[in-house]
Amino acid sequence: MTEAPTSFRYVSKPRRTQEDRRFVTGKGHFVADIVPDNTLHVALVPSQEPAARIISIDKSAALALPGVHDVITGDELAAAVEPMMNGLDTPAVKRYAMAVDRIRYCGEWVAAVVADTRAIAEDAAELVELETEPSDFILDAEEAYRPDSLAVHEAHGSNILLDRTFTWGPVEQHFSESARELSFRVTWGRSSTVPIETFGVLASWDGWRDTLDVWASIQMPKYADQIARALRIPMNTVRVHQDVDVGGSYGVKRGIKHTVLAGYISRKLNRPIRLIEDRLENMRAGDAHGPDRIFDISIAYEDDGRIRSMKMRALDNAGAYAGRAPFQLGKPIGAIVGPYTIESVEYQAISVTTNKAAQEAVRGFGQAPTNYAIETALDRVAAAVGLDRVQIRRRNYIPSDQFPYLIPSGTSYDSGDYQTVTDKVMTQVGWDDLVRQRDALRADGQLAGIGIAACLEPSGGNSSFEPLLNPANTTTTWMDSCRIMVDGAGTVTATIHTTSSGQGHQTLTATIIGEVLEIDPDQIRVIHADSQTSLPSNSPVGSRMAVMLGGAAFNAAGKLKDKLKRIAAKQFGASPDEVVYSEGTFATADGDQSLGWMDVVTIAHRYFHLLPDGEQPGLEVTDVYQVPTGGGLPTEDGRVQMYPCHSFEFHCVLLSFDPILAKPEIHRYVIGHDCGTVINPHIVKGMTLGGIAHGIGAALFEEFTYDDQGQMNAQTLADYLLPSSHEIPAVEIVHHCTPSPFTVLGQKGSGESGYLGAPAAISGAVNDALAPLGITVDKLPIRTAALSDRIAAAANTQS
Amino acid sequence: MKPVPFEYERPHSLKAACQLLADDEDAVIIAGGQTLIPMLAMRLARPSRLVDISRIDGLSGIEEQTDNITVGCMTRHAEVERSPVIASHVPLLSAAMPWVGHAPIRVRGTIGGSIANADPSAEVPLVLVTLDGTITLSNATGSRTIPARSFFSGPMMTEIQPGECLTAADFPVWQHSRTGIGFREIAKRHGDFAMVAASAQVSVDATGKCIACAIGIGGVTDTPLALPELASSLVGTAFTDQSVHDAAKAATDNLSAMSDPQTSPEYRKRAATKLIADALMAARNDALETSEGVTT
Repeated sequence: MTEAPTSFRYVSKPRRTQEDRRFVTGKGHFVADIVPDNTLHVALVPSQEPAARIISIDKSAALALPGVHDVITGDELAAAVEPMMNGLDTPAVKRYAMAVDRIRYCGEWVAAVVADTRAIAEDAAELVELETEPSDFILDAEEAYRPDSLAVHEAHGSNILLDRTFTWGPVEQHFSESARELSFRVTWGRSSTVPIETFGVLASWDGWRDTLDVWASIQMPKYADQIARALRIPMNTVRVHQDVDVGGSYGVKRGIKHTVLAGYISRKLNRPIRLIEDRLENMRAGDAHGPDRIFDISIAYEDDGRIRSMKMRALDNAGAYAGRAPFQLGKPIGAIVGPYTIESVEYQAISVTTNKAAQEAVRGFGQAPTNYAIETALDRVAAAVGLDRVQIRRRNYIPSDQFPYLIPSGTSYDSGDYQTVTDKVMTQVGWDDLVRQRDALRADGQLAGIGIAACLEPSGGNSSFEPLLNPANTTTTWMDSCRIMVDGAGTVTATIHTTSSGQGHQTLTATIIGEVLEIDPDQIRVIHADSQTSLPSNSPVGSRMAVMLGGAAFNAAGKLKDKLKRIAAKQFGASPDEVVYSEGTFATADGDQSLGWMDVVTIAHRYFHLLPDGEQPGLEVTDVYQVPTGGGLPTEDGRVQMYPCHSFEFHCVLLSFDPILAKPEIHRYVIGHDCGTVINPHIVKGMTLGGIAHGIGAALFEEFTYDDQGQMNAQTLADYLLPSSHEIPAVEIVHHCTPSPFTVLGQKGSGESGYLGAPAAISGAVNDALAPLGITVDKLPIRTAALSDRIAAAANTQS
Repeated sequence: MKPVPFEYERPHSLKAACQLLADDEDAVIIAGGQTLIPMLAMRLARPSRLVDISRIDGLSGIEEQTDNITVGCMTRHAEVERSPVIASHVPLLSAAMPWVGHAPIRVRGTIGGSIANADPSAEVPLVLVTLDGTITLSNATGSRTIPARSFFSGPMMTEIQPGECLTAADFPVWQHSRTGIGFREIAKRHGDFAMVAASAQVSVDATGKCIACAIGIGGVTDTPLALPELASSLVGTAFTDQSVHDAAKAATDNLSAMSDPQTSPEYRKRAATKLIADALMAARNDALETSEGVTT
């Protein structure tokens, strides 16, 4: 491995991102831009009930409409394809693209109409006659958890997908030893990432080439295998075109069911099939809602505010099917104590099925809700011991000289300097002035509060939660790859092996290769291989691509440089160690002999007689990079190294609201952020600002609510309230850099930054504002009218 | 999100448009389309025919009359928002304009469309009922004018009869030299439908005593609601924070407020009380600061 440079030429420099050019000029190329000749369009027939038995589906009127080619039902599909995969070992929780016999949530697809146009398909969808027998349904997670509750999947026998209690360390001993204890409940409402681009797929079967071509707004490379498995075709017949731009994802763009359906229809009808969700389909049955979680927390602490131990019960409402949702209770185990020296933890992780839409991975994979629970605990302890909320965090921080630091659940944190980041934020915000500003707002009749959140962003992405929660799954490999080729004309092309959904992978890869090869990154071309020509890769999840794709690109570039040096050394009659490389020139140490970039490239491509013995011609290198610190299986008592890197963020926010109108206005937002070595500052800034906006949404606006009839209230963007630029304040970012010892350049992840702490900080600020009234709000999102109602109820109680 | 099939007509005369509407009771007018198009896309509106009135001469524009300003139905919100005539003669309407959706919506959306759509939370109907304006309805044979306060019959329901087209709205102009306005709104997000909106216009005499008052609320009940009794109770008084608050409280106490999944009726009433008082005090303070008056 090449040594990491001590100072950077391109890394960390505010260079323009390569992707922006095509996006700002409207030249992005998304799945909806791809319409081959003869394409047919799909519209879905949604169920109207949250739970029902399907008695009959009459397709005759729909089929009679001119332009309609077919109507597919769940029965037909289930006979032809395999059920979709579950993350846990729950084989009786069967899931197909469409309801089979039973409807399990409102909006679930019961039939798919295939027509010449989407409009005709929608017309025909209205003509599909569905006869059902409605049955009882269940929406509440606590109710679903009860042993006598109605099971959403009868064959599974209960609603419980996961119920495991971990005990890491002497929890009971710490609780009995500690001077004080407190307990509380907080609830994280069902929100998600809701990209402007809904999920879409175009599948086209070519029987002459035995190829199923797939273009999709998919976020992950572990996709072709799932399509092939479900459709019962060899994986090497599936070609996913990974060069499609994906219009936002952050976890949710995983349309396996859409693709299995489109692939099945394409093979049946021999036509390209396009299924682009409209907003209604996306919101109610895209199966892309996020965590929906109740936390019960108990904290054992001392009079001085030091927290000794924590008990956390997390009950998550996974919705109607399993998928990967329960794993979102597993990932936070890797940072279950946050940035604090909590000595022991008991963690009960419960995932239940209900008659809500199925859940999908969302940015942070359960970490943002967990951080909200932990940070609420810190605020409660601060209030209990009468300590300032910044001080309580400082008192419990892991000291910077104790890294790598092993937490009770088995993960070793790589590095961090939490006190310094906090210092920097305190200076930036002018803490005393901020408190005065809050108090002035209060004196003016407003309810005003300051919110604080300190939290970790586990990054680098690993699969450890899979074997931890599912012993039948012993996956420990979680790699990413890069291939670099230098053509005969000397230009450099790097290939990456997954799609990109706005993260700037192209810029990342070019910057790092440019750094190693001392070539302007803008001269390096970065392309996406299709799935048939890809090296092994995993998803851009868990804030991992800076670490993982960055690591693979760095190593591949190092291998390339080594090969070029070997070729040059042969010409010099020197050893490769003696060759000095600088900005495209190879020279001997004394400078007497030198060769240019093209000289060496030409030897590699054309002059076999000048190559060192055993050297292959051409210039192509690959690196398949396993996640640093990864590879171990969990211990019996459930300890495992989760992610390799741990970015830190410290939020400080001031907001206020009128006691009657209760619409919070954010006056100041400062975040201190440490993600180690930054590869591209613009990308990190964009991630952080977007993450805070996303977090403000989760804290104040966004929720997929259901009424007591099981109907989803928020089916459009008029009801599911995404914050707009009007709701998002100017954010001040304070940087700090504590390099990770485990990565090639000291980088950590930043794809979830901001989002992981913003909800906790906003909640803390609202609760600080409410403190003079002696009340708290314990559920996100904190909506305007509900907040006002809470204040009014408190006033009535007092009077 | 594709509409059900429909016919489309774009007549060049009002008479032809009204005839199309009279001939087909499932036909609807399309003006700016800012409500209708999403309703069509979600198949919540399923008209047989769209009658596009955008190419009919004479339906757009802002005209000064003696005691009022006439705004043609096809006049875009953005034009009203920027109009110096509206700013000086009907400043309450100017103040309401930034609260109508977002800027791109105001570029397409029309004044007539907003009124005819009769959303209980819409700002333009609120200002019109607050000021006791009138609405002109035309059919193939003639036209009639009715008070805005008797035009709205329920949520998204009006007195428009089959074959009629709303062609103009008249906003009264107050002649008192010291007149001020106040507009307050609370929405879930900026640009969303108002949970509560309050609009007020107040005139004061040389001593600061109220000589004329109008107040209305939107988003609370199923139609925009003028509160003439509250307004007249304040005429002849010097406003104080307490008296205005008490009067506002009395005016909202017995209202039957709407609810939605995120907003309780109690919230609407509390917020209405506050916003009525705030709008009235803002209007009164605005009037006190006015020496030359808002009218010509």
